[in-house]
Amino acid sequence: MNDYMRKVRKRNQSLLIVEGNHEKNKLYWLLFHCFPEINIRMDDIWIYGTNIYMLYKDIEKQYGSEWGDSYEDIDLPFVISKKQNLELLRYKEDFTNIILVFDYERHDDNFSEEKILKMQKYFSDATDMGKLYINYPMIESYQHLKMLPDNQYINRTIPVSLQPGKEYKALVREETVIAKVIEVPHKIENLLDERFGVCEEHMRKKCCKSILDICDAADMDNKIQGILYGVVEDANLQTAKYQIKDIIIKLGYVHNGQTYWNYMRSIFIQIIYHNICKANKIQNNQDEIEETEIKQCFEELDLTEILRVQNMTSQDAYTGYIWVLNTCVFFVPEYNFALVAVI
Amino acid sequence: MLKKFSIENFKNFRKSICIDFEKIAGYQFSTDCISNNLISKMVIYGRNATGKTNLGIALMNIYDTLSGRSRFVREGVFLNADATEDWATFSYTFQFDDKELVYQYARFSDFELRSEELIIDGNIIFNCNFVNKQFNLDGLKYVDAETANVERYLQALNEGKEIDGEIEPKLPFLRWLISNIALESDSILIKLYNYVERMAMITANNSIIYFSGMYNGSFYKSLEKSENLQDFEDFLNEMGIECKLELKKLPDGQRQLYFAHEKLVPFFESASSGTLALVQLYRRIVSIAREKSLLYLDEFDAFYHYEMAKNVVQYFKKKYPKCQLIMTSHNTSLMTNRLMRPDCLFILSSEGTLTALCDATERELREGHNLAKMYVSGEFEKYE
Repeated sequence: MNDYMRKVRKRNQSLLIVEGNHEKNKLYWLLFHCFPEINIRMDDIWIYGTNIYMLYKDIEKQYGSEWGDSYEDIDLPFVISKKQNLELLRYKEDFTNIILVFDYERHDDNFSEEKILKMQKYFSDATDMGKLYINYPMIESYQHLKMLPDNQYINRTIPVSLQPGKEYKALVREETVIAKVIEVPHKIENLLDERFGVCEEHMRKKCCKSILDICDAADMDNKIQGILYGVVEDANLQTAKYQIKDIIIKLGYVHNGQTYWNYMRSIFIQIIYHNICKANKIQNNQDEIEETEIKQCFEELDLTEILRVQNMTSQDAYTGYIWVLNTCVFFVPEYNFALVAVI
Repeated sequence: MLKKFSIENFKNFRKSICIDFEKIAGYQFSTDCISNNLISKMVIYGRNATGKTNLGIALMNIYDTLSGRSRFVREGVFLNADATEDWATFSYTFQFDDKELVYQYARFSDFELRSEELIIDGNIIFNCNFVNKQFNLDGLKYVDAETANVERYLQALNEGKEIDGEIEPKLPFLRWLISNIALESDSILIKLYNYVERMAMITANNSIIYFSGMYNGSFYKSLEKSENLQDFEDFLNEMGIECKLELKKLPDGQRQLYFAHEKLVPFFESASSGTLALVQLYRRIVSIAREKSLLYLDEFDAFYHYEMAKNVVQYFKKKYPKCQLIMTSHNTSLMTNRLMRPDCLFILSSEGTLTALCDATERELREGHNLAKMYVSGEFEKYE
C-alpha cells in the first residue's frame, strides 16, 4: 500500500444563505428545476440559515469592523464553517455560486441602514464573494401578482405600518395567482404521502417528478396509472389517479404540450419581467420599458441604488411605504439573460 | 493570417482537435486580443500532460513541411498510440487578403507523407496521394503554376533513396512547387510561404540549454552597438528585471556580457531562470527585425513573477498587434478580463478538447467576473 492518496477536493459547490425558512429553499429548488441550464446539482447546495445582521456580526468577528474597505476578500464559506466549528473548513474557492437571500425587515430591532447598505454594496457577484438579494418586504413578494400580466404590480407598495411576517404573508395569500401553481409539486407529494400512504420519500419524489413530466393530455389516465402502479395500493389506484389528474388538468398546461416544469418556467419568466420593470421604476421612475431594451435595462439595475430609495421612502413609521419587489429571482437572468428571453 | 488549424491522430490527440481563430464572441473589452476579426492573442490552460506542448509542436508541423528544416523531428512518438489508422492528419486554413487557402496533409511519420492537398477559395489546386501514386494537378493554373515541370518532381519521388540507412524525408509537392517555379511576388503561395516561415515556437524547457554560450555569438556581436545594448537593458528593466549591463571584448576575441556592479558579474552564468527565459524571448523575437506571423509560447511564464508575465503579454499586444500569439500557462493571474477575454482563454482537457471559457459554462460571462476564481472553483469543470 502506498500513501499517495490525497483528499479529493469537492468543488463546483453552491452556498445558499437564507433566513432558514422553508419557503426559500422551495423557491430555489423550483427555480433550479425549471432552469436546468443553471447546472446546480441539488446535492451540491449547502443551505445555511441566518439573518443579515447575524451574518454581518459574524463577518465583523472574523475580519474586524473595517471589513470590505481594504483589498481583503470576505470568504463566507470560511466564516460560516468556522462559526459552525466544522471539522473541515470550507473556502470560497470551492464554490461557483454564493447566494444570499434576505428579507428587508425594516422592523427588525437590529435594522441599520448603514449595515444593510454595506452588505448590498459588497456582495455583488455570485461567482466570487457572493451576491446579496434583498426582497421587499420579504421573499413572498415573488408571488404578489394578482393576475398575469399584472399591470398594477409596477405601482404596488405596502405601508411600513403593515408588519411584515404574518400580515404581509396573509395579504399575498389573499391576492396571489402564483401560489397555486407553485404548490403543485408539494400538493401531489402530500397527497401521495398523507392520503395514499406512500411513505418512502424517494419513491414519492420520483413519482411526483414523472407525473409533472407529462406533457400530453391524450392518454393521461394510463400514463398516471402507469406511474402509480405498484406504488399506490391497488384499491386506491383509481382514486389517486383521478385526483392527481384533476390537479393537473385544472392548470391547463398539458393541453399546450408542456410539462409542468416548462409551464412553471414560463411563469417564472413573467415574474422576472414584472420585477425587472418594477426595479427600473424604483431606480429610474420609469413606467414602461420597450421590450427590446429590457436586457440593457436589466444590466443597468443597481441593487444598492434601489435599497437607498427603499430606505428613503420607508423612513417614516406612519406615512412611509415599501415598494413590493423581489430581487432574488434575478439570479436567473444574471446567470444568463438568454434563459428568460421570450422566444 | 491563420484562421483555423486542426489535427487528428497526432501524439496524444486521438480525436480531432481544432484551434478556431475565427470564433470570437463580441466582447467590448480587451479588444486588442483580436485583429482582423481573428483571435490574435490567446492563452491556453490545462492540467499537466494534457498536451499543451504537443499542440504547439503539431501547429509547427507546417513549418517543417514547407521549409524542410525540421525542428521537432524525433521528439517522441509521432502517431497516437491508440490509433487504428497509421497516419495523422493536419489541416490549416488561412486568409490572405480576400482569398481563403486550405492546406491539408496526412503523414505516416515526420518523414513520410500519405497525402497532400491545396484548396484556394474552394478550388482544388492539387491533390496528391502518395500511396497509390495518384496526382491530380489540374488546378495548378489557378495559381499560375501550370508551367511547372511536374515530371521532374514525380521522377525524384520515385527515386527516393536511402542515405546511411536513414530514409530521406519525402519532398512535399507544395514545397517543391514554391521553390521550383517563378511566382509573382504577390502570389498567394508566396504569402503562404512568408507566413509559415515566420512561425515560431518557444518552450520554457529549453531556455536554459540554449544559453550555454555557444548560441550567443551573433547575439553578443549585435550588442556591440551601444543602442542595441541599451535596448536590451531597457527591455529587461521594463519587464521587471532591474539591472545594468556591460559588454566586453576579451583578448581572445570572444565577447562577454556582464551585470555591471562594483565588480563585473558574468551575465549568463549568474542570471536567474526568469531572466534567462526573458532573454531568450528577447533574442529570438524582440531583437530581430522580421516580425513573427505566429508565435507559440509554451509555458512562457514558467519562471516569471505574475507581474512580469502580465508585462510581457502587454508588451506583445502593443508591439505586435497582428502577430498571432498563442501562450500556454498555469498562471491564473493572466486569466482576467483586464488583460484577456473569455473567448481568448482556453482550457485543454485530457480528453483532447480545447474550449474557450465562454463556451465552457452556460453562464453569461461578464467583464466584471473574476475568471481565475471561477476556474479554480470549478465553473468550467466539465471541460477541464
